Amino acid sequence: MRAMLVRSAAQARYAIVGAYFLLCGFQLVIVGQATEIQRTQSFGRVAELMPAFLQRGLGSRAMLMATFRGTVAFGYFHPVVCLVVVLVAMYIATEPAHEIESGLVDLELARAVPRHRLLTRSLILAEAAIAGAVVLMGIGTVIGARLFGAPVAELPSATTRLHLLLNLAAIASCFAAFALLVAALSRRWTTAFTTAALAAVVLYLMDFLAIGWPLLRNIAWISPFHYYPALSVIAGESALARDITTLAAASVVCAGAAYWFFARRDL
Amino acid sequence: MNGGPAIAVEGLTKYYGPVIGIEDLSFDVARGEVYGFLGANGAGKTTTMRLLLDLLRPSRGRAIVMGVDCHRDSLAARRLIGYLPGDLPIYPDLGARDYLSYLSRLDGRRVAPGYLDHLLRRFDVSAIDARRRLREQSHGMKQKIGIIQALMLKPPVAILDEPTAGLDPLMVQAFRETVAELKRAGETTVFLSSHVLAEVESTCDRIGLVRGGRLVTSGTIDDIRRDATRRVTITFADGSPPIVRDVRGPLGPMLASLDGRPIHDVAVEPFRLEDYVAQFYADGAS
Repeated sequence: MRAMLVRSAAQARYAIVGAYFLLCGFQLVIVGQATEIQRTQSFGRVAELMPAFLQRGLGSRAMLMATFRGTVAFGYFHPVVCLVVVLVAMYIATEPAHEIESGLVDLELARAVPRHRLLTRSLILAEAAIAGAVVLMGIGTVIGARLFGAPVAELPSATTRLHLLLNLAAIASCFAAFALLVAALSRRWTTAFTTAALAAVVLYLMDFLAIGWPLLRNIAWISPFHYYPALSVIAGESALARDITTLAAASVVCAGAAYWFFARRDL
Repeated sequence: MNGGPAIAVEGLTKYYGPVIGIEDLSFDVARGEVYGFLGANGAGKTTTMRLLLDLLRPSRGRAIVMGVDCHRDSLAARRLIGYLPGDLPIYPDLGARDYLSYLSRLDGRRVAPGYLDHLLRRFDVSAIDARRRLREQSHGMKQKIGIIQALMLKPPVAILDEPTAGLDPLMVQAFRETVAELKRAGETTVFLSSHVLAEVESTCDRIGLVRGGRLVTSGTIDDIRRDATRRVTITFADGSPPIVRDVRGPLGPMLASLDGRPIHDVAVEPFRLEDYVAQFYADGAS
């Protein structure tokens, strides 16, 4: 297993390192921006820029976005950040489809390697990549605060940051398990990754648009992003345990289905 | 493991939806034997090999390697096999040495001490070649690495899908020597497919010919040679027109039928496996 993990990590190293730079850099930039807005006391103008449908949909929590704390925390649930973490996890989790497409599976499974090991390897690596991403994001915030002289007392509390990052990791894990399922059913990596990535984008948009579109609100529960109510987390009003449990359960179902299908299919 | 055949295939069938991969395929390969598995493209050779490795699941029937069921006890069966795929997949960023090292670590089997170096030398893979990334290697070099990875663990059963495709004549010779060496040692059964029939003739003890997913003939090269139709041309001393006949089996009855006519010469075209196999391919195409 160790040899396979090292090999897969080496294969995905550019995607992982690139994403880590982006995610960590993003935190530096957003802390720098928030510090600048705070220094120039411009958060009032930020509030004015917020779209009306968001203000209506989010209610009083929308105003959190126009605070130093909310802006810094935005670095943990910005669409780009969410999608980058999710896409990296899915990139790694779809490796079994690449192995089938390239024929590498013939070499690996011609040896006494159990089939499920390919999935377990990808899942472990995806989880490790997610953990690395959220840890680096947290570190990025701390470095940013020091670098730009941000008012440390006004940063989101360590607990809030931890909750946001845990929730983000749970979402990414859920999508990794979904991507694993798609890969377990596919013969082509591009098919698997594109399907999983498009699903992630559509589900993100569904959750976002549900803020202002009552019709979508009825089905937004199917989106994993629905279980990442970041503003509620910042406001200390979220049911974190319930959301993470829901995401974990969905992950287990997807991963379980992936193992089941992969064990029975032709490779 | 028991004392039965190295490979036993019983009624093995694989359908890809409405398409027949192989159907009711049955044959045995004895231990220590070199078995050539022949057939036109799409005849079912690779499907059979991938069923032996449990990469494909049979529609019905079963395959057994050294007494171990390839599907039910797949891990144990694969522990006995070394496999060369028809199109060798690579990790382009790895050097040949690292590639071999990675593959040998996958299931914890140990490369026989000195044997890997022996194979690298035999296939003329220099230390520089072994360090170069596989993406920079020629097709022939990759094929040599493929053969080495299949044999480096001295597996009881080596399954080789077109092992000499893309090799230069010297390396084909090196491959033949390796197979001969394995045959002499008697510890490895070789099951190979090839379109290079001269190579099959020189390396294989027996061949099986598959067409449309079914085994159409199987036997030793000598059996086939005896059984094959040969073109015989008889010329006569008295200047009468020569007789040209396709004869199967001994020539005696044919010669006896000449009623003592003065024979000047009897020319028998030598047996060529190519012609024999081509006849089956052509029958399948018609």
